[in-house]
Amino acid sequence: MKQKNTSFIIIALFLAGAFMPLILKQYHLNMLTEIIIFALFAVSYNLLLGYAGLLSFGHAMFFGLGAFMTAVAIIHIPGLALWNAILIGVVTTIIAGFVIGSLLLRHKGAYFALLTLAFNALFYAVATKWHSVTGGDDGLSITRPDLSLGFTSISMASLTHFYYLTLIIVGAAIVFCWYFTHTAMGKTVLLMRENEERMKFLGYNTNISRLLLFTFTGAVAGLAGSFYTLHFQFVSISAISVDMTTAVLLMAFVGGTKTFWGPILGAFVYIILQNYLSNITDRWPLFMGFIFVSMVLFIPGGLSEVIMNIRQRLFGKKDNNGGKSAASEEV
Amino acid sequence: MSDYLHIQNIHKDFSGLKVLTGVEFKVKEKERHAVIGPNGAGKTTLFNIISGKFKPSSGAILFKGQDISGKPPHVLNRLGLSRSFQITNVFQELSVFNNILAGVRSHYGLRYHFFKKPDRDRNICERVEAIIDEVGLMDVKDQPANSLSYGKQRALEIGITLSTEPELILLDEPTAGMTREETNQAIKMINQVTAGRTLIIIEHDMEVVFSLANTISVLHYGTILVSDTPEKIRNDQRVKDAYMGEG
Repeated sequence: MKQKNTSFIIIALFLAGAFMPLILKQYHLNMLTEIIIFALFAVSYNLLLGYAGLLSFGHAMFFGLGAFMTAVAIIHIPGLALWNAILIGVVTTIIAGFVIGSLLLRHKGAYFALLTLAFNALFYAVATKWHSVTGGDDGLSITRPDLSLGFTSISMASLTHFYYLTLIIVGAAIVFCWYFTHTAMGKTVLLMRENEERMKFLGYNTNISRLLLFTFTGAVAGLAGSFYTLHFQFVSISAISVDMTTAVLLMAFVGGTKTFWGPILGAFVYIILQNYLSNITDRWPLFMGFIFVSMVLFIPGGLSEVIMNIRQRLFGKKDNNGGKSAASEEV
Repeated sequence: MSDYLHIQNIHKDFSGLKVLTGVEFKVKEKERHAVIGPNGAGKTTLFNIISGKFKPSSGAILFKGQDISGKPPHVLNRLGLSRSFQITNVFQELSVFNNILAGVRSHYGLRYHFFKKPDRDRNICERVEAIIDEVGLMDVKDQPANSLSYGKQRALEIGITLSTEPELILLDEPTAGMTREETNQAIKMINQVTAGRTLIIIEHDMEVVFSLANTISVLHYGTILVSDTPEKIRNDQRVKDAYMGEG
């Protein structure tokens, strides 16, 4: 029942997305593309935070790595197909996620958070110092390659075309992440957060589970990063900085970590706020910080919790997902 | 013929505190073996070592001829060994069905699959329902574990222990904290669900021990005092001195 409803909502969202270029101006279409990309980034982050209960301060290293690898590949490999540019970004993050994950998997809680922060700082330092490859502080500019479909080629110079590509590929990745939460692996992650010890006594290797999840979420963040580069046709060290981790943390928190769709909403609100606030004042991070602090203090469940509460009041629906964790909702 | 399970001279120190000092006993296949002993004798520590939670300081555990001491719990579980916990250790927020499902799908190898949904597999779901029925929780199948009564949570604990189809079951005080009536029901249920498997049980309640076990080992100050049939144990003077006298 519930899954049927969700499938319906997904199809409706894709259809709505397909009509957006007819309705929105270029400026807003641009923003929507960015929102979709960051929604995927935030969703991947929340699989760690909301589902597995792992607070990472280093998710931007995967996002940034995917972003940089795509840019570097496009610059250094002439005539590289768009698919391959994306693939290079994702495969690199899979490898990085696996290697870093192997070093981290025995750690949880504060140790995990600090180690991810340290790795992120390491990646940031490399991106800053390795000027010949990453462009250092100047960043890298690219031109989006055209999309070759075998029989025909679609120009990606048009924002509308790129928007559709993002909607389909990044949208599909978000849908897969949602599907993932219902698969054996997705549920294993939830069960481990509930009671890791019991999982061990039921035959689960919890270290391997964490490694697989870490690698998977890293790869998804890498895909988002790759699209980030393609979208802006530019990548700078800010993509791999701790600020980027903070941004995704904010999106997840503002939207709410207890539901799957919370971070998507969070990305939406974050990008729009950032755009409007930065038009009004240069001190927009101050206001974002203020919003973040008040959210944590007053509505720790995020916007999704507010919406659920309102829905409950309006329809008097006994929704036992309301105050509870993603675990009770999704399993 | 080699023994089914042979606990060989197990020692365990916790930073100088000697909890087990040479535990030695054998369990035959399909045997129903109780480990009894006064509080602090080291029963739960012994269980934690057999089930892989702790590594022994020295000694070996031969399971069907293979030394399994020091192997991690998930490996032991896949070898066919499963344990319950003295303090209920279930997935509190999850329904009874999902609690049992966690173990059943592990047994079916559906642990880390990125595409398959375990609750869509008919064989798995049927097995889950069968286990729920065996432990008598059919009427609360969809309720979260934390809403169940204590007795039912204990039944769920045993259900989870059964869910990976173990051949060797370790039950750590399965009836602790139960009323007499609940205990009688639990004994009946345990007898049914563990039929045809090897059972090792830690228990304080002598009535439970005598109605479930056909061999009893008495653990006293970190070593096995005696290992024998219930009748012999009942009449053993050393056991009376060490244990029965206190109870």
